[in-house]
Amino acid sequence: MTNTPIVEITNLDLYYGKHKALDDISTSFTSGSCVVICGPSGSGKSSLLRCINRLEDFTGGDVLFDGISLRNTRDLAAVRSNIGMVFQHFELYPHLSVRDNVTLAPRKVKGLSKAAAEERAEKLLDQVGILDQVDKYPAELSGGQQQRAAIARALALEPRLMLFDEPTSALDPEMIAEVLRVMRDLAAGGMTMLVVTHEMGFARDAADEVIFMDQGRIIERSESEVFFTNPKSARAREFIDRIVYKL
Amino acid sequence: MDWSVIIDNLPFLMKGLSLSFQLAALTMVLSLSLACFIAIGRISHRRWIRYSSAIFVNLLRSNPLILIVFWFFFLVPLLTGKHVGEFWSVLIAFVVFFSAYFAEIVRSGIQSVGSNQIKAALSTGLSYPQTMRLIVLPQAMRNVMPALVTECVIVFQGTTIAYVIGLREFLHSTILLTERTVRPVELYLFAALVYFVVCFAGSTLARRLEKKGIRV
Repeated sequence: MTNTPIVEITNLDLYYGKHKALDDISTSFTSGSCVVICGPSGSGKSSLLRCINRLEDFTGGDVLFDGISLRNTRDLAAVRSNIGMVFQHFELYPHLSVRDNVTLAPRKVKGLSKAAAEERAEKLLDQVGILDQVDKYPAELSGGQQQRAAIARALALEPRLMLFDEPTSALDPEMIAEVLRVMRDLAAGGMTMLVVTHEMGFARDAADEVIFMDQGRIIERSESEVFFTNPKSARAREFIDRIVYKL
Repeated sequence: MDWSVIIDNLPFLMKGLSLSFQLAALTMVLSLSLACFIAIGRISHRRWIRYSSAIFVNLLRSNPLILIVFWFFFLVPLLTGKHVGEFWSVLIAFVVFFSAYFAEIVRSGIQSVGSNQIKAALSTGLSYPQTMRLIVLPQAMRNVMPALVTECVIVFQGTTIAYVIGLREFLHSTILLTERTVRPVELYLFAALVYFVVCFAGSTLARRLEKKGIRV
């Protein structure tokens, strides 16, 4: 694990109309680290994630990805193609087969040949364990399989950072494990990951650090072991008590 | 009743029907293509694009087709000093008029595609035009296919309006033949049958598509 910051966020503000969703966020993430962002709903976790590839147009402050300002860049698409994103409801393209879902961006954005893109797609689908589903359409797959296909789609661009926006929240319990396994493998392989999730088990064993957010602010950022055994803030302690020890 | 009038004049009638089909087919293809741009304009973040698309759609939809046809036939040559001929003048009028209707259908289709699909596509580095062309429009078209087919039926019926400026489409051919042969009953029954067959086939197709619910 190196210590180069790949993402630097400075004084980030985001408004939805008059509601302040993110309030003066400043933080950074280093290459190779896996950070889990948690907090009560409406705390701004997903909004923060979406600011990192500027799917949300932040109001104030800036996000630097690899030194490039997302506020000022003229080629946002090029920055985005280095950042993979996985969504809560998968967002696979329903009119395309799994193969085409995974090969589309590498071909259209990175200019890969069809053969090269398909070779890469098959390798990735094998890695996430659904190579046998390559010719199916998303609607023919289970939720867990769809999410794994979505992870493969994001990985197909060989991103330097992966954003996960509640990747298991829409899944049936028995399918959560298969998705988490893929994510654990990725983290173990050194992929830089930011994960918004309520899976505290994953946060505990796979994440290096945990960020706790509330009301659009970062309340606490600790190493994951410290966060679960000895959280600094009272609000984080309350949150952990509510969602971990009630299991 | 003497049906031989139809058989004797079949080549003349079919020539008219073929012109109706050509006019309808060209109108469908061109106005649907134009409609995609207008529909995207209707939801643009740039205000001037959004407003001008909205003005176009509302202006066209609040005027009768016949007026638009007259407009292009009589007024445009006055303004430009050029006459493009009946077929082209009617075609342009039809494309402009029906693109407003198709645009509203396509827009509702685009809006039926979740905004997260757009976000997902953008997040992979696709540009906005690529996202529209590759991800949103294909899904949008599928979602509104029955409405599109129904509108195509209306386009075909609409070709009869071309009669007013003397284009010899199917209805006009029938009228001319009626005047010559004085056989209105047979000829108008035949015309009704032809329009019924074509339009009923179209609306049956629309109903099938709706039932199948071709959402993949």
